[in-house]
Amino acid sequence: MKHAITTISTLAILALTVPAFAHFQMIYTPESALNKGGKIPLAIVFTHPFEAGHTMEMGTPEQFFVTRSRGENTPKKTDLLSSLKPIKWTSLTNSGAAYETEYSARGGDHIFCLVPAPYYEAEEDAYIQQSTKMIVNVGGEPGAWMEPVGLDCEIVPLCKPYDRWTGNVFQGKVLFKEKPVAGAEIEIEFMNHKPLLGQKAFAKDASAVAPQAAFVLQTIFADDNGVFTFGIPKAGWWGFAALGLDPEGSFKGKECSRDAVIWIQAKDMK
Amino acid sequence: MPLPEWHAGPVLQIYKEKKMKLKLSVLIFTAMVLGFFLTPAVQAHTPLCSCYDNGDGSVTCEGGFSDGSSAAGVQMRVEDGAGKVLIQGKMDDDSEFTFDKPPGNYKVAFDAGEGHDITVHGKEITE
Repeated sequence: MKHAITTISTLAILALTVPAFAHFQMIYTPESALNKGGKIPLAIVFTHPFEAGHTMEMGTPEQFFVTRSRGENTPKKTDLLSSLKPIKWTSLTNSGAAYETEYSARGGDHIFCLVPAPYYEAEEDAYIQQSTKMIVNVGGEPGAWMEPVGLDCEIVPLCKPYDRWTGNVFQGKVLFKEKPVAGAEIEIEFMNHKPLLGQKAFAKDASAVAPQAAFVLQTIFADDNGVFTFGIPKAGWWGFAALGLDPEGSFKGKECSRDAVIWIQAKDMK
Repeated sequence: MPLPEWHAGPVLQIYKEKKMKLKLSVLIFTAMVLGFFLTPAVQAHTPLCSCYDNGDGSVTCEGGFSDGSSAAGVQMRVEDGAGKVLIQGKMDDDSEFTFDKPPGNYKVAFDAGEGHDITVHGKEITE
């Protein structure tokens, strides 16, 4: 009896002390600053990137498109939803429904945008929907990387998301329906396990060790103008998620956290 | 209120000088503005030109500059292996130039003036 109580209380404590990992919608490609155009692979995974942890089951996305712009040309939008192929993505703890595709990139900025299906989180009895952007540049010719693409929940970069050295800052502006969100809460995670596209899985090896759970998921707030600043300590992909931007966010009669995510890739000066 | 006569002279003088200075600065400013538009290559930017095989017998070259400025109007030449000019044209309003892919060896020249020219060899042009 005593044994059973000990087991139950241990389990209860374990359940209560699971670190607060953040959900992150990923749009991944290995390289954000390409010298030459060509076919690039894209993987779309809803996961916990720092730990390569639990990967959620994605439903059919609502939107997936790219806007391409070069120099002063007007950005052109291409729908990519029908190009998505369902895959199983393997994390270090499970596997979940995800998507992959290929895209033929030419010169300039390509802003990949995803509005996923709202995800039901049973533990919170609520939904999460993370509108996500990832920007690829080909050849160094800038386009409209700094312009909003018009998503309801959107982070607009104030620095080129593909030209950051390690140690630079990254600044972004959080928008809900095109208006800045004062004091928005932003969670930040480092893509700590390399995505292996061939194996549709995360690499087992981590590149950084968190000394404590708080470092897995960093938290900052935007200022009164919805602008946030983050110093980049390490080369690689960094995800920023501005949480709960729609005060009335709901889906199927339940609460829905409508978030905006952006990914940036920093490089070491060598 | 009219100025006293003893005052009018110097004031008028200063006014005239100011007007002269103003005229001069307007001239300098105008020259600068004109210069800016007439010499598009004065900024710290690198010319960029990439060409892609469209897979339908045509090739599209996309030009630009690393600071995002337009390459509209830049001279384009397609030459054969011996350097003979096969096609001559200009970058369009979207800084693009499309041409029918010539048989054999060829190269494309993007010519935005001295120090701003790029040559792309046909064998490097893929889909």
